[in-house]
Amino acid sequence: MEDVHEGPRPRITTSQLAQHVGQPVCFVGRMQKIHPSGKMFVLSDGEGKSATVELSEPLDEEISGVLEVVGRVTNQATIMCMSYVQFREDKSPFDTYLMSRP
Amino acid sequence: MGKNMPHLGSEYQHSVSSYVKDWAIVQVRDQAGDGAAAFMSSAHEDQGGYVQSPGGFGSPAATQDKRPKSRSQNIVPCTVSQLFSAQQVDETFQVRDVEISQVLIMGLIRQAEKAPTNILYKVDDMTAAPMDVRQWVDTDEAGSENIVVPPGTYVKVAGHLRSFQNKKSLVAFKIKPLENMNEFTTHLLEIVNAHMILRKQTKEGSKMFQSLSSPGMGTVSYGGLSNLPVNGLTVHQSQVLNLIKTCSLPEGMSLQDLQSQLHNINMTTIKQAVEFLSSEGHIYSTVDDEHYRSTDAE
Repeated sequence: MEDVHEGPRPRITTSQLAQHVGQPVCFVGRMQKIHPSGKMFVLSDGEGKSATVELSEPLDEEISGVLEVVGRVTNQATIMCMSYVQFREDKSPFDTYLMSRP
Repeated sequence: MGKNMPHLGSEYQHSVSSYVKDWAIVQVRDQAGDGAAAFMSSAHEDQGGYVQSPGGFGSPAATQDKRPKSRSQNIVPCTVSQLFSAQQVDETFQVRDVEISQVLIMGLIRQAEKAPTNILYKVDDMTAAPMDVRQWVDTDEAGSENIVVPPGTYVKVAGHLRSFQNKKSLVAFKIKPLENMNEFTTHLLEIVNAHMILRKQTKEGSKMFQSLSSPGMGTVSYGGLSNLPVNGLTVHQSQVLNLIKTCSLPEGMSLQDLQSQLHNINMTTIKQAVEFLSSEGHIYSTVDDEHYRSTDAE
């Protein structure tokens, strides 16, 4: 884990990606599809817009559901993922729309 | 859930109308389950009868009871960055006029170190670097304290803010994994709400307190505040008590003296007030039942 985790990481949605290029961010979204290589996947945010997330190493597990990704925004407005956390939905579904409200 | 919640979000953007505030609090109690609501309400019940508290300020939050003279009994939801930026004022911490001592944070466990007497977690809520959270382990009981929460779990932490060598940390008295991530969304809203309400209360509280204390303790007239109970006493009882406090004679103040100084109160009322104050322990009788001294006298 790099220094990305040592500072503030604003929670953003897809429409705010362009404003945070080069900055560490926190992105919460629902898994839409995973690239066959496992190094890229697409999440949809609370407003329904999609964002691409890239990984340095391919995913070693099949994950689905809501993910919280911490990483840096690239020049192409994708997220270079440093770490991710899967949100628990075993008890009740998570409402991504709520979290996207300021 | 469902259709109502987006309404809350958009209104929160523009202004926090009192309707939304009250509604948000109701929702908090529903959604946060045993967590935040229970903590806040237990803080509310924690009022000793003797402690001064500016009671009737009509706080809409029904949970935050501000006591400028004694320790804040609130548990305040905060972000880690707020805790790091809190400044130490005498014994307590302050975040932009809001006094905090017990706090509630929610974040991800990044690291967990188990020691014989405590567990040190690093909790990260994305607003700043991870915060050290220490949980003391009860070495006698083999129970839930010994179960370490694994890294990668979102938890709710309630604890005291501490600062040591300019480094902030939390001493947790409760760490609970979040079962419903919507609680986290609620937490973000609660932080904004609670800080707004507390800040407003502090401004109102300090204004009211100034007007209460300026007439002085020895004077009789309380002006327009006749309907406001202070310290749990009625106006008459307060007046009687304050007069008795000013008396430095060893035998105390007699009922006759009280009546001659308090023209607007008849003897029966004075006697009732004296009886109440004496049973509450504010005053005690000296040479006879007619003379009383204050227990708070310097």
